[in-house]
Amino acid sequence: MNGHCNGNGSDVATDDFHYNNGFSEVSVKKAVVVPASVHRKEEEEEVQGRLPVLQAAYSSILRELGEDVDRQGLLRTPLRAAKAMQFFTRGYHQTVEGVLNDAIFDEDHNEMVIVKGIDMFSLCEHHLVPFFGKVHIGYIPNKKVVGLSKLARIVEIFSRRLQVQERLTKQIAMGLSNALQPKGVAVVIEASHMCMVMRGVQKMNSRTVTSSMLGIYLEDPKTREEFLSLTQH
Amino acid sequence: MDHSKQTEFTLTDKKDSGDATLVINGHFDGVVKRPPAALQGPAAESGSHRSAQSVTESWKEEHTRSVEDNEVSLPSLAEAYTTILRGLGEDPHRQGLAKTPWRAATAMQFFTKGYQETIIDVLNDAIFDEDHDEMVIVKDIDVFSMCEHHLVPIIGRVHIGYLPNKRVLGLSKLARIVEIYSRRLQVQERLTKQIAVAITEALHPTGVGVIIEATHMCMVMRGVQKMNSKTITSTMLGVFREDPKTRDEFLTLLSCQPAMYNDWQNKVFQSMAEDCVKSGSTHHTS
Repeated sequence: MNGHCNGNGSDVATDDFHYNNGFSEVSVKKAVVVPASVHRKEEEEEVQGRLPVLQAAYSSILRELGEDVDRQGLLRTPLRAAKAMQFFTRGYHQTVEGVLNDAIFDEDHNEMVIVKGIDMFSLCEHHLVPFFGKVHIGYIPNKKVVGLSKLARIVEIFSRRLQVQERLTKQIAMGLSNALQPKGVAVVIEASHMCMVMRGVQKMNSRTVTSSMLGIYLEDPKTREEFLSLTQH
Repeated sequence: MDHSKQTEFTLTDKKDSGDATLVINGHFDGVVKRPPAALQGPAAESGSHRSAQSVTESWKEEHTRSVEDNEVSLPSLAEAYTTILRGLGEDPHRQGLAKTPWRAATAMQFFTKGYQETIIDVLNDAIFDEDHDEMVIVKDIDVFSMCEHHLVPIIGRVHIGYLPNKRVLGLSKLARIVEIYSRRLQVQERLTKQIAVAITEALHPTGVGVIIEATHMCMVMRGVQKMNSKTITSTMLGVFREDPKTRDEFLTLLSCQPAMYNDWQNKVFQSMAEDCVKSGSTHHTS
């Protein structure tokens, strides 16, 4: 599995974070050799190739749950559920570089930029049940700004995976900071976990809030406070 | 294991106690298999004995699952989930995913536990003779179901109203009926109807109205990806269907905003805090 998998967290970015106080001197590594379009096509074919296996697994699940797999409503459900699950985990096949699409611009701006209220949908890796909420991202550019929708696309890459909310928050922050090398990045996620709402403790109104502060947001409480007050309202 | 096979029925249920006739017309999906003839005999009797008997005769639902079935099928469910994890390109042996197949399998069994339960078990004889013939509404019942097409959650609220005919139902039993039918692989239209028909068959009220407004994650998280869309379905039976004024009263009472528990709680805490500040002390004043 490629390094963007949620594997063991000991990738270069995390080491950089610990040893270099958040920011790597090395610029973003670009994909080499294989043209992006070919790479994407291979990935798509691989994803398609896995569909029958997933379908069979879902048929087995329906049967074991006591349902009648031949009834009209369930006839194509294994295929639909398999495709839906692949959609929910398509972030594994995307990279930050691929998605940023060179939408990084030189701009003499060093004030805070915030994109808040980004809807986020992910899957809890423990129960395979959705959790969803809103992401607020702020960063202070260092002569380079990124296209605003790219922030939402970075959220999509990391959220469309089997996730844990803490890890998701950090990956978004690290992904952005690696791509832009800004002065600071702040990410706050507030989400509702269906594994807590639909089952288990069944607490309807509970929300989980996680945050990741890098660079100047970590060092300077006033900057952090400004971000938090701008995103709460 | 064929309770969920779609069967088309046209049901008629005539009460002959002299009150308004309750007629359910239309096709029904066969979760409750009930030949119309079964109700002709019991309909002639009166009293709670009739309700129990007709309940027993009405709901010849087959259990598709028992608790033992759950235990037996857990390993194969877990195996299917392991296959899914591998098929998605994940590593099923990494720490976060090591026990996920079992958790996901148990969770899915919980989300479909409606197949293990029947109405009779859940009503628990909580049907009472009460000289009440005004509308009873239980609204904002949280409902969670699974879309049978994509196996993705449906989240919403159910509002139930009924006009009793000398028999009322324990209020929580309405929510329990919702649970039985919602904790299945469902289609919102069918869910609405099943709840309405179940209440009708249990109580033989003058009328029943059920409204569900829900968000379908299959539309929100994938596909068209419309975050704010809501699907609303309703089933009106008996006098709710025939009399527009009754229906109007039901809909109006649903849209009024009585105090929420959370609001009330906040007001209490706020006044307690104000009392503390006024008295200048840090402990509660009475």
